Amino acid sequence: MRLTLVAHTPHVEAMVAVSMLTTTSGAQPSTLHDRLVANPEKVKEVAGRLEVQHGNVMEHNRLVWLVEATDDEVMEAMLDARYLAFTRLGDDRWLMSGNLRAVAEYAGQRDTEFAGKLVESVKDAAPTVHSYIRRGPR
Amino acid sequence: MKAKLLAYTPLKPLREASGGLDWRSLLPHLGYTFAVEKISRACSHQLVRHRAASFSQQSQRYITVKRLSERIVTPPSVAAAGADEFNKLVGEVSEAYQRLVEQGVPKEDARFILPNAVETSLLMTMDGRSLLHFFGLRCCNRAQWEIRALADRMLEEARAAEPEVFNSAGPYCYQLGYCPEGRFTCGRMQEAVDGYKP
Repeated sequence: MRLTLVAHTPHVEAMVAVSMLTTTSGAQPSTLHDRLVANPEKVKEVAGRLEVQHGNVMEHNRLVWLVEATDDEVMEAMLDARYLAFTRLGDDRWLMSGNLRAVAEYAGQRDTEFAGKLVESVKDAAPTVHSYIRRGPR
Repeated sequence: MKAKLLAYTPLKPLREASGGLDWRSLLPHLGYTFAVEKISRACSHQLVRHRAASFSQQSQRYITVKRLSERIVTPPSVAAAGADEFNKLVGEVSEAYQRLVEQGVPKEDARFILPNAVETSLLMTMDGRSLLHFFGLRCCNRAQWEIRALADRMLEEARAAEPEVFNSAGPYCYQLGYCPEGRFTCGRMQEAVDGYKP
């Protein structure tokens, strides 16, 4: 099985931070977005507090993968992860998409090769959240 | 009211990765995140009925509503009627809310007296298919004025970002070429269709 992240919405972790602060700070989300995109250290600090927040703050992004896997492997993933979307491209080739919450929840429920590759695939796009998913809630 | 498209999944890399799939086939994989600002709670109640979406909304449990009278959406019909009763009640509610908070009532309880007119802001994320459906319903002449105005602003943002996908978006009469509202039709389909041509 091969899994390659081919596209995602920009500033994935900044958007997690915008979402967290929108619910509690009183600032406008577009203002928060402009400030946080320009301040990676603040993003890291806010996203690092993820464990005390609700999961929906990880939903404001879209990640798209190219999956090369057998029908059985994909069927298993489809049945386990309701919030991942699949489109068949050809023999053993699929386009798959979802958000960080779907990744985190899948990884929390399943200890499979697919789950491991899914988590590793978001390391560059969302390094703080990647660490959070790997260590699990404190 | 303000609607700003903060982030979206670009079509091009998906088309390349998929070997040239049509944008319609890629809709479930496209994601759009909007900042929606200074709408009424009445409007946000309608928004969250679109269940295939994600929302992060300003919480009245954590954020104190200060100067309520400056953070109110007044419907045009109320303004046209003079709004005296409306403004009087908002003023009274504002004072009562502040008194409750000062007396130590938690914000999560004091908010019970706040009106639907109070402003709110939120993040909203939808996939491409859900967003087209949202525009189909909420750009319609039959939609309530505030959410329709919001949908129109979101559509402007979406068209500017990804015209190939959203130039064909608008109310369902524009998308489908017929009105699916049956006996509830506004009867002004051609006017609506002309209004949404890019």
